[in-house]
Amino acid sequence: MIYLDSAATSMLKPREVGEAVVRAMRTMASPGRGGHAPAMLAAETAYRCREELAGFFNAPGSENVVFTMNATHGLNIALATLVERGDRVVISGYEHNAVTRPLHMLGARVDVAAAPLFDSGATLEEFRKRLPGAKCCVCTHVSNVFGAVMPVYEIAALCAEQGVPFVLDASQSAGVLGVDMERLGAEFVAMPGHKGLLGPQGTGVLLCRGAVKPIMAGGTGSDSRSQSMPETLPDALEAGTHNIPGIAGMLAGLRWIKRRGLGAIERHERRLKDVLAGRLEGTPGLEVFSSAEPSAQAGVLSVRSACIGSEELAEALAERGVAVRAGLHCAPLAHMSAGTIEEGTVRLSLSPFNTEREAASAAEILKKLVMER
Amino acid sequence: MNIIMCRSLTYAQRASSALERAGITAMVARAPQELTNRGCGYCVKVSPRRFTDALAVLRRAGVPHGRLFREEPGGRYVEVAG
Repeated sequence: MIYLDSAATSMLKPREVGEAVVRAMRTMASPGRGGHAPAMLAAETAYRCREELAGFFNAPGSENVVFTMNATHGLNIALATLVERGDRVVISGYEHNAVTRPLHMLGARVDVAAAPLFDSGATLEEFRKRLPGAKCCVCTHVSNVFGAVMPVYEIAALCAEQGVPFVLDASQSAGVLGVDMERLGAEFVAMPGHKGLLGPQGTGVLLCRGAVKPIMAGGTGSDSRSQSMPETLPDALEAGTHNIPGIAGMLAGLRWIKRRGLGAIERHERRLKDVLAGRLEGTPGLEVFSSAEPSAQAGVLSVRSACIGSEELAEALAERGVAVRAGLHCAPLAHMSAGTIEEGTVRLSLSPFNTEREAASAAEILKKLVMER
Repeated sequence: MNIIMCRSLTYAQRASSALERAGITAMVARAPQELTNRGCGYCVKVSPRRFTDALAVLRRAGVPHGRLFREEPGGRYVEVAG
């Protein structure tokens, strides 16, 4: 099988990730729940993971690294902390439901900085107009549908000028592009552990700067007499038993990324995206959403056929051994912004483990399917 | 051993990590029950000989800590000043 669905979850993982998960299940208990060796080994693993994540993403400290179930969980915490009913929140036109649904649930007034796909200049201008007086700003680093890289450092600088807290959704960029919390001055950075960080499903990270509002309460292994959640990070946001096998796997994934090098991963995925786009562009009846500007797009490519529906095309690809994702990708706003809301698109997303040969084969299979219609 | 009380397990680990980096042996442990009136807690244990150095390291590293104790023979704890 050619797995091109890493924007959903990076199924292809380094061998060390699986080994770390199994080792944790066999030897580790729960951090903060005892002073015995298996509990302390779990605590040591969790702390190493926090410390290495803080260093990798330039977060203020290890205590500012909160383990979550996924990026959605982290975004819910960030938005519950910053947003109240009626607050105006500025977002990009390429946000996932992980941002828009919590905002809807909180009763926020959502102000979309809508701009054409791959147009950083227009995006910045829209944010510049809308930020004054906003309660907070949320932006994805990379569109999960189109791979469009948003000018997040420039948007964050505009937020700083206006005193508007900035939240970064790093779901598609963590482990692929440089994410620097201090340089961004972000209040929160949310990311999954199971995509670019190459950890197991059910893992995520929320980098927090300061005060937080817990959305869950329970045991933390600290201040147990109190019926209020501890105010100290990370305990304030980590009620209940940690996913230690997941954290151990995520740490192994992060270490693999550090060895391979972020730049090498970014170049590899962009090169394969170019292979896909290069072979698909010009196919009659196929629209390819690719940017000619290399830095404008990460390793995610969407296509739309005039003659086969997205779901049908993805199904035909799956029958031929190519795993992709079709439809709206939980991001209807992104599809509205790009004018693809009716049919959706077929998304091909890459990982460090895909090869040029796989990209070329997948492109040829897709091309043939479209041309046969 | 002398005991440095910490806000949470993560802060105890951060303290221990800073101390180890400075060449001071430090052990993260559950706080003795009589020293915490808030339920479960964690502390860092260091040798009395390195206690003053340890506190200086934590100050320099910006790692906050709680109350400080000296363990007496017989398992009694006496609070000490920083």
